[in-house]
Amino acid sequence: MESSTDAAKHTRRSFLDLVLGIGATGWLASVLYPVIRYLTPLPSAGPSGPVKLSADQVKTLDKERFVIVPVQGKRILVFQDPAQNVRALDARCTHEGCTVQFVPGESVIWCACHNGRFDLDGRVLSGPPPRPLSQYLARQDAEGGVTVTPQTA
Amino acid sequence: MSATAPRSGLFGWLDERYGISPLIEFLRHKEVPIGAHPMVWYYLGGMTLFFFVVQIITGVLLLMYYQPGEATSYESIRYIATKVPFGWLIRAIHCWSAHLMIMSLVVHMFSTMLLKAYRPPRELTWLTGFGLFGIALGFGFSGYLLPWNELSYFATAVGTDSVKSVPVIGHWLLLVMRGGEDVSINTLYRFFAGHVVILPLICAGLISVHLLVIQRQGMAPPIHGETARGMPFFPNFALRDLLLWLVCLTTLAMLAVLLPYGPGLPGMEWELGSKANPLAPAYPGIKPEWYFLWIYQLLKEFPAHLLGMEGPEVCLLVVSLLMGVWAVIPWLDRTAQRGRHSPGFTDLGFAVIYFLTFLTLKAADLGVAETPTNDAETAVVATFCAYITLGVAVVATLTRVLVYHHRWFVLSAAALAHIALHGLLGWSYLTVGAVVAVVTAVVLVASGQLRTGAEAGVES
Amino acid sequence: MRTRQLLMAILAASILISSSWSQAETTDSEQPFTAPEGLQKLLSSVDDKGAAVIGEEGKAYFEGLPSHAKRLFGEAVANEYIGAATQLRDLLSLELNTSKLEAVLTNNCLLCHSNPAYQDSPTLFSLDPAAVKSPPYMDLKLLLNDVHMRHKLACAGCHGGDPTGNMAHEHPAEWPADHDERVADPKWVPQFCGRCHSDTKLMGQFNPSLPTDQLDKYKSSHHGRALLEGRNPRAAQCVSCHGVHGIQAANSPASSVYSKRIPATCGKCHGDPKVMAGVKVRDGSPIPTDQYEQYKTSVHGKALLERGDVGAPACNDCHGNHAAAPAEVSSVAQICRTCHARNGALFDGSRHKESFEENGWPECERCHGNHAISKTSDAMLETSKGSLCADCHDKYAGEKAATCKATAAHFHDTIVGMAEATVDFKEITLDLAERGLDIEPIDDERRNLDDALKQSRSQIHSFDRSDFDEVAKPGIETMDKMESLVEAAEQDYGQRRNGLLVAAGILALLSLTLWLKIRAMERDQRKS
Repeated sequence: MESSTDAAKHTRRSFLDLVLGIGATGWLASVLYPVIRYLTPLPSAGPSGPVKLSADQVKTLDKERFVIVPVQGKRILVFQDPAQNVRALDARCTHEGCTVQFVPGESVIWCACHNGRFDLDGRVLSGPPPRPLSQYLARQDAEGGVTVTPQTA
Repeated sequence: MSATAPRSGLFGWLDERYGISPLIEFLRHKEVPIGAHPMVWYYLGGMTLFFFVVQIITGVLLLMYYQPGEATSYESIRYIATKVPFGWLIRAIHCWSAHLMIMSLVVHMFSTMLLKAYRPPRELTWLTGFGLFGIALGFGFSGYLLPWNELSYFATAVGTDSVKSVPVIGHWLLLVMRGGEDVSINTLYRFFAGHVVILPLICAGLISVHLLVIQRQGMAPPIHGETARGMPFFPNFALRDLLLWLVCLTTLAMLAVLLPYGPGLPGMEWELGSKANPLAPAYPGIKPEWYFLWIYQLLKEFPAHLLGMEGPEVCLLVVSLLMGVWAVIPWLDRTAQRGRHSPGFTDLGFAVIYFLTFLTLKAADLGVAETPTNDAETAVVATFCAYITLGVAVVATLTRVLVYHHRWFVLSAAALAHIALHGLLGWSYLTVGAVVAVVTAVVLVASGQLRTGAEAGVES
Repeated sequence: MRTRQLLMAILAASILISSSWSQAETTDSEQPFTAPEGLQKLLSSVDDKGAAVIGEEGKAYFEGLPSHAKRLFGEAVANEYIGAATQLRDLLSLELNTSKLEAVLTNNCLLCHSNPAYQDSPTLFSLDPAAVKSPPYMDLKLLLNDVHMRHKLACAGCHGGDPTGNMAHEHPAEWPADHDERVADPKWVPQFCGRCHSDTKLMGQFNPSLPTDQLDKYKSSHHGRALLEGRNPRAAQCVSCHGVHGIQAANSPASSVYSKRIPATCGKCHGDPKVMAGVKVRDGSPIPTDQYEQYKTSVHGKALLERGDVGAPACNDCHGNHAAAPAEVSSVAQICRTCHARNGALFDGSRHKESFEENGWPECERCHGNHAISKTSDAMLETSKGSLCADCHDKYAGEKAATCKATAAHFHDTIVGMAEATVDFKEITLDLAERGLDIEPIDDERRNLDDALKQSRSQIHSFDRSDFDEVAKPGIETMDKMESLVEAAEQDYGQRRNGLLVAAGILALLSLTLWLKIRAMERDQRKS
């Protein structure tokens, strides 16, 4: 008799502990969920279509042969290749995420952080970068205005 | 499971190095006195601490989006409240928790006062607690400005203005607080630094001392506590604390979701409204937060000039004196020092409660639909608030007489007489106050009770 | 009594001392001035009740004057141009600045004509013409503020003579000698003013930007023709609107032709049946006299007279001023178009244009009225009996009336729908905001809706269903967008509440089990 009540008590206790555990987990989840959602940044807002370069940016492009422009929260390298065509690549080096630059004299894209080199199509020539740079569509109109479309070409 | 036996695992590893076992042992034997009076008073400190922890967590979360600055403060808070997922919740909890923290703190302080828990050897607990009360008010005041909206701007302008009444260094203090002659974005930078760095540091120190001395000495037993039973602090009391915190958290969540901008009571709402514009004229109905309302009202009761000084200066002097007396109560209450009931100080506690209640209610403009603009309406407010306060006092007094067998009511009677003469008969608040104070003093001296601290009073 | 005398003596002494001080100040460059006997007498004269005619203020002003001005006063009294204490009092009470005072004191016309000893009431200037029974234009203060006077064109400029000489003088040739003739038929006035105001060279010296074609315009106006052709001697001429003495520049708010005062100025005659008696409009019927009353109730009248919006049109903006003429039926609509250009253009392209022309109806006026143009309302589009559209179409549209009415009903319902939505959504967003939801996107859309509503209301004037629908389409789409935004917000709120419910449930469960756990634990503790 006594042992059976003890056993019942025991199962009741372990059931209580189980519920307690579930409750604590649920509580933790209900507290953490809003906090995690709160901390997750919102996607950066901005125009999703093609982005036209400002006059200043075009001026820099003409002078330096390249310019880094923000497009939808991404850094994009816009440069003039030796054939005077305007082209665009992702400016974020695939190695450690430094911003790359165009070296007009050598016609390469170069990352100063760890000496990564890419060709004008974004393919890795030398150095540690594991992947090529993504290509983007860039177009120059008759008036000299430059438009970058944030889609891989 | 003996605590003295060496244990393996992480606990053993830690215990070996830091000697945790004696601490556990200490906690195991620590007891919370129960039986002589309702235990509820022992939970208030823990509750305040819980709300403070919530403040730290939500405060840090808000910091991740808040950008102090002329063009960003208001906008970032707006962004948090409207765009960030659950940003509204974090902000609402931060605001609600702030108010609930100060509420539980105030109740905690008065329960400590009325139960004479400040008596030796716990003077330092009272003093640090008093300091924490001041810090909490500082938190509220500095945090109020951070959204940089119209309401907070004017409330801060009024609030900081009273600082100039401090003798000699008043103007300098005002400049330091505001970062210039007027409330500007410089003020916000200073308040921001105070709210998120300076005050939390001081607060952490004070809370550490406060908790340390409580843990060292245990909770104050009732004044005739020899007979009280004890409850183990750990795990019994601690688990109860935890249970209460869960209830508090649930309450917080409900309030934050259902009333995200506060209950809409005077001094207790945080709707963002429009951005602060230093060039816009002030509008009627601007009030500080509810825990400052009594000072705000007291300032209004003082005339422009009194006793050859400016009214606000005198008012600030009076408030400082009251605060000073309040801080050193453990040393004033000689009777409680000897471990005996001090009905005089119990009654003082009630008198202070009536005093604060009336002023707070009056500042909230209870009894009229809109902010009063003439003397007649102000009189209506005074009468209405006097009735409420007197009603509360009647209930409190009946309880004291019937349940607690209190017999000493000189100070609370004086406070009520003050309220009644002002509110019901329309006499000047200050004049009545002075007359009542003098009469009370005469009565006390004449009956020889001032010195003896009402030792002759009937002990319950 | 003695104390009073003593006080008077002290007062007199203090005045003397103070006056000697002020004299001392002016003696640096000028000779000290002692008032001659005549002036002294006037200054200290008393009326029949024994009170001083010239009060302390007047005396103080006099004492404060430089000596040469005081001397001018003395001379004017000595030469009897100032002949009465009341006249001196009036002149002093104007508190003119020194240069203006000099101009007055050297102008014998003005001095003589403000001297009650010499003048009968019709020719006496005073501060209160009514009190001395002179005509209202004999107001001294108005005269001194007159724009001509300020440009140094004083009495003699119009009336002839020499202000420094004696009173006998010749009038200018254009000035009818006989007073009754002058008043009975003021035909001569326009030419008289035109002597200067039509002279470009002369006017250029004073105000080069002032036009000089007023007389020509006036001659072509109804007023001008009625007066000059001798049909109506009461017809308005220059002074009817601008006043006589006391004329102000038209852009001065004190002027009777300042835009806000024009309706009242025109209404003075046009609202008076007695003045208008015998005047007929083109079709021979007597001219109405309720235009001013109607105008006051109109949207333009309210804007100008109540809101003080001086850009709102007054009488002259439609009827012209110097060339005042009633707008012809065909030109009314053109006048409206000077401000309401878009609505006019829409109307021109509409099917109404033709039928209006066929019937010889005025365009805008037909629906909106003229002097009593009321604020347009969506109710104008209603199609029930007695409403604007229905009445006209029932009468004139023939078979097409039903289609027209259906179109009007469509306009009405669309616009009223949008108008109501702007109000409804405002309430809804307030409610949402109170519950802590993000209303910014809805508010943005509401601004778009407001804009679409305005455009649609204007587009009515095309009276074309498909044109209207095209303009109204963005509005309808905005309404749908707002609807879905509100729904999304409500959903968000629902999620918040559900989340709360779940969290509260979990917390309640946890609290309960914790409580049971504590109880069980304590039971064990008691046992052991």
